[in-house]
Formats: sequence, structure tokens, C-alpha cells
Amino acid sequence: MSQELDQTVEHHSARSRRAKPKPKIQLQLTSMIDVIFQLLIYFVVTASFAVDEGVLTARLPEGTGTVTQQLETNPVKLEVILRTSGPAGVQIEIRGLGSRDTQNFAQLRQLLKSLRHSPQNTSGTFASDSPVIIEPQGEVRWQHVVNAFNAAMAAGYENIRFKQANE
Amino acid sequence: MSKSQVHQRGPTAPEMNITPLIDVVFLLIIFFMLVNNIVSDENVPLIPPSLDDSQARELGEVKKITISVAPGVEPSPERRLDPLLISGESAYIRVGTHAEEIPINNMDRVTELLKDAVERGPRDAEGNTALEVRLRADGAIFYKEMQQIMAAITAAGIQTVNMVAFLEDQD
Repeated sequence: MSQELDQTVEHHSARSRRAKPKPKIQLQLTSMIDVIFQLLIYFVVTASFAVDEGVLTARLPEGTGTVTQQLETNPVKLEVILRTSGPAGVQIEIRGLGSRDTQNFAQLRQLLKSLRHSPQNTSGTFASDSPVIIEPQGEVRWQHVVNAFNAAMAAGYENIRFKQANE
Repeated sequence: MSKSQVHQRGPTAPEMNITPLIDVVFLLIIFFMLVNNIVSDENVPLIPPSLDDSQARELGEVKKITISVAPGVEPSPERRLDPLLISGESAYIRVGTHAEEIPINNMDRVTELLKDAVERGPRDAEGNTALEVRLRADGAIFYKEMQQIMAAITAAGIQTVNMVAFLEDQD
């Protein structure tokens, strides 16, 4: 009997249930969002993309024999010699032409361009497919080697390669 | 007279539905965490050559492997002023995403790793390897060291190499 009484005490009318809605469960998200934004900003700032880098495609010096034979049948070649100058400088020379007209890579490009035969430059003596051989000394920096390759490419040559160790 | 329901509950508190915002932010975080790891595995800190009237082009979406040749000095704002004023000796070489730091006197290891990549890489219609090799070296490295690395690449049966340089003059 007493149990029944207890139940009647607990009873709420339909009207009072509507009037007092159950409290909603709420997640406190503000601090989490703060942390997530911090993480997001960190990763956005530290992400480094190598977007400003490109490539120059070169044929590698082949094994023994084949290239040397090609050169014998096609002896008209341009040799760009790179020597060290100072701690990190470079002296550029085209074999047979000296280094006076090639003080920098822009001049090397101009000279190579003037040597290349084209409809606009009929006085040029080298064809576009003449071999251009880059011949750097051991302690020349990679930047100068790639720059010489780039200058020959900009001058319109198609057959550019590095000197082989046994050439 | 009893109050209407609206008056009993009081004014409703304005609520923002931020669930989609959190979804998007989480996706962005995951994206940047993954990309950061992938990029940093292949991107050894170094300063590639800066060219006069650069003819460099983007390699595009081909299957490629990067060989990085790092100097002993990390790129710093001071170093960027004159990137060549450091020693030209390489500190280590890294092939692809292998974490191994290979010294210059162990070119056989470079060839071995490359051969392995060529074997597993794509082939063209004639059966030749279609894997492109990016040679990403610091501009200050001596040519004599690069020559050894190029010989190691040739020994792996690769005939062309893509030398990484800046697309535009950095000066």
C-alpha cells in the first residue's frame, strides 16, 4: 500500500510534463574547436610544397664505346669547359674560343646562340643537334654545371651532355 | 489568467550548428598532417640551383623517384643570401622515401635501391623502364660528387636524369 502511495507522489500530470521540458544534454565544444584551430593553423603554416622547382632533362653519360664512336662520325662538337675561380666562382670557356667572351652564363648563352646555324642566323656553323659537351672540373659547384646546361638549352641545342670520365 | 507556453519557457537561446564546421576542420587537419609527412620524406632541406633564364619545366604526373644530395648545412635565411659559400662536400644522399642517409662513398647502395625501384616501377610498351629519376642536389655540391652519383644512376640501367632547379631566378 505504501508503495502505491509513493508512486502517486511521483506522478506528474500531462500538463506539468509539457511545462517542464527535460534538460538537454550539451557538449561543451568551444575548447575543442580552439585546439583544433590551433592544430590546423600549425599544419597550414608548416606545410612546405616544392612548387617553385622544375627539372632539366639530361642524357646520362653512357657506358664505354658507344658515345665515342658517335663522336668520330660527327666530330663537330662544342665543348664548354668550367673551371673553379675563387672559393665558389666559375670560369667559363668554349674550347678553341677562350673565356674572354663568356664572363657569365648570359654571355655563354649569347655566344652559343650566335654559333648555332638557324634561318635567322645563317653565319652559324653548328647545327642544333651538334653535341654540346659540358666539361666541368671536379670542384666546380653543381649550380654552375646546371647553369651551363641550361644556357646551351636556351641557345637552342638539343644534344647536350656531360663529359665522360674516360673521354 | 495562465501564461501561454511561449511565455512559460522564456525566449529560446540562439544556437549555432557547428557540426559540419568541425567535420571540415578535421578533414583539413588530416589532409595537412598526411601531406606534410609525404612531402617531408622526399623533400630533404637543400637549395637547388638557381638558373639564369631558367629553361626548367614541371615534370608532371609521372612515376618518379627523387635522389636528394644534401650539403652539411641546412638552408637558413643567411645561407640563401649566397648559397654557394659552404663546403661542396655532400653530407648524405637519400633515395626516394627511404629514410637511410647514404654517404658519398657508398654508391653501390644508391644503385641497389634504384635497381629495386626500377624493378617494381612501370614499364613502357617496349619493356624499358618508365620511371623518371629526379636528381635534386644542392647547388653548392662539387661536380666530382655529382659525377659519382650520375654513374651510380647509369649503373642501375637508367639513361636520362631530371636535374632539379628553380623554375625562376631566385636572385
